[in-house]
Amino acid sequence: MTALAEQRPALAPSGGPAPTRPSVWARLTRIDKVGVAFVLPSAVAVLGLLIYPVLSSVYYSLTDQNLLRPSHDLVWLENFRQLVTSDAFWNAFATSIRWTAASIVGQLAVGMVLALCLDKVRRLQGLYRVLLIVPWAFPPIVIAFGWKWILNDVYGVLPNLLTRLGLTDSNVSLLANPTTVFWTVLAINVWFGAPLFMVNILSALKTIPREQYEAATMDGANAWQQFSFITLRNIRNVIGLLVILRTIWVFNNFDLLFLLTGGGPGEMTTTLPIFAYRTGWGLHQLGMASAVTVLLLVFLLVASRVAFAVLSRWEKEDR
Amino acid sequence: MAGLAACASAGSSEEQEGDGTLAGDVLMWTSFTQGPRAEYMEDMAARFEEENPGVSITIETFAWPEFYTKWTTGLASGQVPDLSSALPTHVVEMIGAEALVPVDDVIDSIGRDRFSEAALAEGQVDGVSYSVPIYTHAQVMWYRKDLLAAAGLEVPQTWDELRQAAEVLTSDDVYGLSVPLGSNDMMATRFLNYYVQSNGETLLNEDGTANLTSQAALDGIEYWVDMYETTSPEGSINYAVLDQATLYYQGKTAFDFNSGFQISGVADTSPDLLDQIAAAPLPRMDADDPIYGGETSNTPMVVWQASDVQEEAKAFLEFLYQDSDYIDFIHSVPGGMLPALSDISEDPAYLDEPTLQQFADTVDVIEEAVPLGTAIGMEEGPRIQAGILTSQGVIEGMFQSIILNDEPVEDAAIAAQEQLDSLFASAGAELG
Amino acid sequence: MSTARLTKSGAGALRHVVLAVASIAFVFPLAWIILSSVKTGAELANNPLDVLPDEFTLANYRRVLEDLGFLQNLRNSVLIAVVATAVTIVLSTLAAYGIVRFFPRFGQRLTRVLIATYMFPPILLAVPYAAIMVKLGLINTYAGLILAYLSFALPYAIWMLVGFYQTVPLEIEEGAQMDGAGKVRIFWQIATPIVLPGIVATAVYTFINTFNEFLYALLFINSTDRMPVAVALYSLTGSEVLDWGAMMAASVLVVVPSVLFFMSIQKYIAGGLAEGSVK
Repeated sequence: MTALAEQRPALAPSGGPAPTRPSVWARLTRIDKVGVAFVLPSAVAVLGLLIYPVLSSVYYSLTDQNLLRPSHDLVWLENFRQLVTSDAFWNAFATSIRWTAASIVGQLAVGMVLALCLDKVRRLQGLYRVLLIVPWAFPPIVIAFGWKWILNDVYGVLPNLLTRLGLTDSNVSLLANPTTVFWTVLAINVWFGAPLFMVNILSALKTIPREQYEAATMDGANAWQQFSFITLRNIRNVIGLLVILRTIWVFNNFDLLFLLTGGGPGEMTTTLPIFAYRTGWGLHQLGMASAVTVLLLVFLLVASRVAFAVLSRWEKEDR
Repeated sequence: MAGLAACASAGSSEEQEGDGTLAGDVLMWTSFTQGPRAEYMEDMAARFEEENPGVSITIETFAWPEFYTKWTTGLASGQVPDLSSALPTHVVEMIGAEALVPVDDVIDSIGRDRFSEAALAEGQVDGVSYSVPIYTHAQVMWYRKDLLAAAGLEVPQTWDELRQAAEVLTSDDVYGLSVPLGSNDMMATRFLNYYVQSNGETLLNEDGTANLTSQAALDGIEYWVDMYETTSPEGSINYAVLDQATLYYQGKTAFDFNSGFQISGVADTSPDLLDQIAAAPLPRMDADDPIYGGETSNTPMVVWQASDVQEEAKAFLEFLYQDSDYIDFIHSVPGGMLPALSDISEDPAYLDEPTLQQFADTVDVIEEAVPLGTAIGMEEGPRIQAGILTSQGVIEGMFQSIILNDEPVEDAAIAAQEQLDSLFASAGAELG
Repeated sequence: MSTARLTKSGAGALRHVVLAVASIAFVFPLAWIILSSVKTGAELANNPLDVLPDEFTLANYRRVLEDLGFLQNLRNSVLIAVVATAVTIVLSTLAAYGIVRFFPRFGQRLTRVLIATYMFPPILLAVPYAAIMVKLGLINTYAGLILAYLSFALPYAIWMLVGFYQTVPLEIEEGAQMDGAGKVRIFWQIATPIVLPGIVATAVYTFINTFNEFLYALLFINSTDRMPVAVALYSLTGSEVLDWGAMMAASVLVVVPSVLFFMSIQKYIAGGLAEGSVK
């Protein structure tokens, strides 16, 4: 899907009155008919919208379903066998990991630096904040148009500027050159995603009680110690949660890279979602494409389980 | 599973059996995105509705790449139009998916002998026609008269002359020739196909297997890699058809390969350049070699199996071919679309058009090429391989791998050939 | 001046440098798109380094608005996003409150399930959705697309709002109950106003996500006059000429309202979290 902020106060640092005290309410009211009425519409919608399609995709992944043919045969694990022995799949998997990890690290680093600067700055803070969230408002298609225009090696301002300044002999195409393409799309994704980290980290920073710093200063803690023992410690839950959610988002994201590079040149920016799209809509191998997405899902489930385990340990430590 | 259209017209198709009047909602998809063509279709629909009060026609327009995603997904989910335009390679896939109905009745009614046999053959399986050509065009070499004159160059006739001219004309402002290699389009396949055809070879063997390792193919691959590195913008490794054509429209390239659509593109984009463009036959190995068919495109219309207003769809299709209207349609992109009906090509009413007259020589060049060529990979008639050859970006990927990874030409060609053959096999093509 | 103070003011200056450089880099693409959108085709093609247009023109906007009917696409996008957001917020506030107050023990497990639903790659769902929509006659309708959007908007909104409703002190609600307020009234008049900033933040995210969505819109909407902007913009790359001027003008028409919207609700997206967790 498209991008947006993920934040959730329950895991925010203030340690507010986390309220899952065994329900007094449940004792007060014997029957939860009203409760059922509250939850039912969404339950039906979520189940209806997700369970059937997901199950049917899992089923397709066990068949040789072709996009253009009405009938199919069960091939059981054949699709998976072919995938795990295919270089193209592992290449896409590796690209996905690299793309996701580098994007998240970059977005977090830039977002964190900006948030820390913003937190301390008095003058112009409002202006900076307004300017720094601009990339966030870009739909993926406009990101693609804007950057492809700026980077276009014939008409684009950047390649022409580099040549004019004598930094390059002739106009380079950063999205076509094998040594630059990955870093270029990465930079674009960091540009796009950093504001989200910045905004969320900034509001987490605002909740850190000033007294903690004052006490630390009295104890003679230096700036780095204050940062790692107070700042980082207080916002790590928010960061952890953001990282998990954005990781899932970037890993699953199809639009941005598809519109920017189409997965090319070569296979250099072909991530798993693009690989799945090509398999399903290019090669018409819907069964195989479903198998790719099922593997993608399994991988995310395992990875997020590990990540959430870390997060809940942090939460326990905080209590 | 025919969706909305089915519900809307379920009652009306019964009525029609009774008294022979046409009734129902016809959904037509076209890729005629350009303003005048789209408007023309709307006008025709309105007039047809007037003559047949029971029929309502809805036209949706998509660009080709979108169109392909639409109908493939549509076929899987049961959402396809009643009538649509198509590309010949799409038609093969559609026939393979049993998505189309025969249209021999429409062809006979318009006049079978008015169509070119080659064009009809692209939509025929076992003597049954599944598509009706609506216009045709062929690929030729475009050049800039002013740039050639300024450099004192003749119009190149051979591949070597083209390379030399393109290198001379590459400057800070202009690229000699852009070589488009983007894997989301079929442009590299198209360029390689010209070269291979000029050697009397083809990209598909008669037995249906891929042929990228003939001497002509290997030479052609090297030729285009070399051209990419010397006369083409670096970004062209990602180019699709529009990126490529737009460069020429804007006067950024000295040479290009395209059909007569180049005329309207330049007219829309840089009208000042219109006097400076012209086309010549595709380059040959040797100036004495005969003109050959690089690539002819017969864009057809098809009627869908899932439609339950097939009679109405066919009636509207036939309606589009009435002489004077059909000429108006062809005139909507003068020089770009050439008539699919042979008698219309000679019709004074057709020839009397300012752009066609201004570009009479160029249009002659294109018309000369039309009967010589076929769609890429269709030399032996419609085959599923032709679609795979042009839709999977295998040849484009091969070029990219040679350029990006320094893979030796022959290794890359062998690998791409094997990949194509395995794709052919898994698509159920009969090989050998 | 002491060394400490000197470092301090040095750090302050450094912060301004970092922020200023970042601001310029972050805003540059927007500025460049806007500038490009008012240049002529010839200037775009031939003077890539000109910052200000030699000849100011609105021709690109005319082409996008008049020839391509882009306003209709904008209307579609807004309509789809508004309805999807409204439905999402109604359903998710009810569900979130219901989970927190009536099924607290389920809450934890449910959160996990909801997060898992967030992981389904949208591509995985495309074909099954297309098939369902055809059966229900929803292909090529706003309703169909909105329904598809609920698949990602709803779980996420519930998940966020569960967090916000958990911050409402139980004592307040118990007090209201003593005073004889019904459950629906407590939900509506007591709990919901407290979490309003969180609801606004959630609504904003939902709106933006649905406004920007591309893949489902590409696959499920067939008619040009029902297409949302993301797909209409994409179509520009497949017409007869790659008209960068028109592409820039269309981009401006999408992004500028979006940016203004973001700037005006900035307080909520940033503040939603802080306020929500303090109370």
